[in-house]
Amino acid sequence: MTGSSTGQNGSGDDGNPNPPTSGVLPAGPSADVHGQGAPPETFHRDDDGRPQNLTISDRFVHFLGTLGAMVRKRVWFLLIMLGTSWGVLRESLRSNTWRRTVRYEFQQTLATVAGRGLLSTVVMGALTGVGVVSQAIYWLGFAGMAKMTGSVLVTVIVRELAPILVGILMLGRSGMLSLAEVGMMTTGGQVRSMQAEGLDPFLLLVVPRTLAFTVAGFTLGIMFSLSSLTTGYVISRASGALSNSLLSFYYDVVTAMTSADYLLIPLKFIVVGFLVGLGCCIGGLTASNEDSIATMLPRGFTRGMLIVMTVSVLFSLKL
Amino acid sequence: MNRLGGPLLELTEATPAFDESSLPPVPFTLRVMAGECVVIECRDMSRATMFADLCSGMVHLNHGTARFMGMNWTELDDRHRNALRGRIGRITRRPIWTDLFGTHVSIMIKQLHHTTVSIEDLTTETLHLSEQFGLPGIPTETPRRLSDADIVRSACVRAFLGQPQMMLIEDPLETSPVDLSQPFFECLTAARDRGAAVVWFVRDSSVWQPYRKAVSALWRLADDGLLTVRRR
Repeated sequence: MTGSSTGQNGSGDDGNPNPPTSGVLPAGPSADVHGQGAPPETFHRDDDGRPQNLTISDRFVHFLGTLGAMVRKRVWFLLIMLGTSWGVLRESLRSNTWRRTVRYEFQQTLATVAGRGLLSTVVMGALTGVGVVSQAIYWLGFAGMAKMTGSVLVTVIVRELAPILVGILMLGRSGMLSLAEVGMMTTGGQVRSMQAEGLDPFLLLVVPRTLAFTVAGFTLGIMFSLSSLTTGYVISRASGALSNSLLSFYYDVVTAMTSADYLLIPLKFIVVGFLVGLGCCIGGLTASNEDSIATMLPRGFTRGMLIVMTVSVLFSLKL
Repeated sequence: MNRLGGPLLELTEATPAFDESSLPPVPFTLRVMAGECVVIECRDMSRATMFADLCSGMVHLNHGTARFMGMNWTELDDRHRNALRGRIGRITRRPIWTDLFGTHVSIMIKQLHHTTVSIEDLTTETLHLSEQFGLPGIPTETPRRLSDADIVRSACVRAFLGQPQMMLIEDPLETSPVDLSQPFFECLTAARDRGAAVVWFVRDSSVWQPYRKAVSALWRLADDGLLTVRRR
C-alpha cells in the first residue's frame, strides 16, 4: 500500500484589491442597462465579468436566458415528471430491472394501494351510486329521457367522475404515504445510503411503486364504476324508478359506450394511477434538507390534485 | 478478483468538489491492495462518511481519478457503478435503516438486489453471521423496534454479508453498547484472507490497538488531506 497527500489548497493570493467606490462605477445609460433584467443566480454565473457595452444580440441572448431560467424554475416539476415518465416506461421494459427487490417492492405497493384501498373504493362507489346514479336515473325518467340513461351514466360516472375520485382516493390514501416514506428517506439520508450500496432509488422505489399505482388505478377505477352503477341500479329499482333487470341495465350502459370509450376510459384510469404514483415518489425523492412532513405533504397533495384534474381535463378534450 | 494485479482501491490526486462533499478540496492519493487493512483516523466522522463516499465514486472530482477494481468511477455508467458498489461492504454512521422492510430484508437487500444467490443460501449465511455477532437469529422486526446493540450487530452483519471485495468501515466498536470487537476482528480477518481490502475509519486510536499488528498502514484525514501517521 502506498499513499500520499499534498496539502495544496489552490487558494491564490488575489492581492486584496481595493473595493470599488460609487464614484468609480461608470455612470450613464450603459450602467443602467447592465443592471436591468439581471438573470437569476442559476443562469450565467459569470455575468460580473462580462463587458458592459453589450450589443443588441448579446442583450437578446441575455433576455432569452432570463426568460428560460424563469420558465425552467416554474415548470421544473413538470419537466422532471416528463423525464421520469419516460424513464419508468423505459426501465420497466428491461428484463434486468425486474430483480427480486423490485418485484418485492411492486408486490408490497400493489397490495397496499389496490388491496387495502379496495374497500374504500367500493364504499365510495356505492355512495356515488346512491347520490349520483340513482338521482340521474330518477330525473332522466322524470324528464322522459330514460333512453339516455346509459349514455349519461357512461359520460358522467365512468368517464368523468370515476377517474377523478379514484385518483383522489389513491392520492390521499396511498400517494401521501408514499410521498412521506420516500421524502423522509431522502431527508434522513437513507436514500444516500442506498446509493452507496448500489441500490438505485429510482429503480428500487420509483419504478415499482409507479407501476403498482398504474395497475391499481385501473383496478380501482373498474371496481368504482361497477360499485357505483350497481348501487345506483339497486336504489333506483327499490324506489321504483327502474323496472328492468340488472343485466338489461348494464346492457344499456355498455351499448351507450363508443368504441373509443373502450380504449380511452381504461387509459384514463391507467394514466391517472401512473402519474399520481410517479408524482408522489418524485415529490419525495426531490425533497431538500429544509423540507419536512409539514412542507412535503401539502405540496404533494396540491401537485397530486393538479395531476388528477389535468389528466381528466386533457382526456375530456380528446373525448 | 485474481485477474486484478493492481490495487483494489486507488485514488490518484483525487480532488473532491468541496461544495458537494464538504471534504477539503485537496488531492488525495491512496492505494489499497487486496488483503490490506488501512486505518484512517478522523475526528469528524461525517467527514469519514464523505471520504468513504469518495472511495465509492459518489463524490464529483474536480481533478484526479478514483478507481475501484481497476475501473474508473467516472468512466462507468449508472448500472455499472451500482453493480460495482454492490461489491463494497459499508458500515456507516449515516442512517441506513428504514421501516419499509423488516430488518432481515434490510440486511439482505444488497445481495437480493445485486446477486442471484438463492434465498436459502443467503439466509444460511445471514444466520451464520448473525449468530457470530451475538444475535439469536436473523432479526425480523422493523429496525425501529430493535435495541441499539442489535442495530449495531445487524449493521455489521449487513456489511460483511456477501463476501464484499472492499470494506469501508466507519468504526462500529466505539459507539457500540456491547463489546463486538472479537467477532468484528474475526470477520475482518476472514474478509482480508479472502482478498478483500479494508479501509477502517476510527476516531479514537485506542479502538484499533488490539488489531494493530494486522494493520497495513495508518493515516489521518485532516483539513490538509491524508497524512501519514507513524505507528508506535
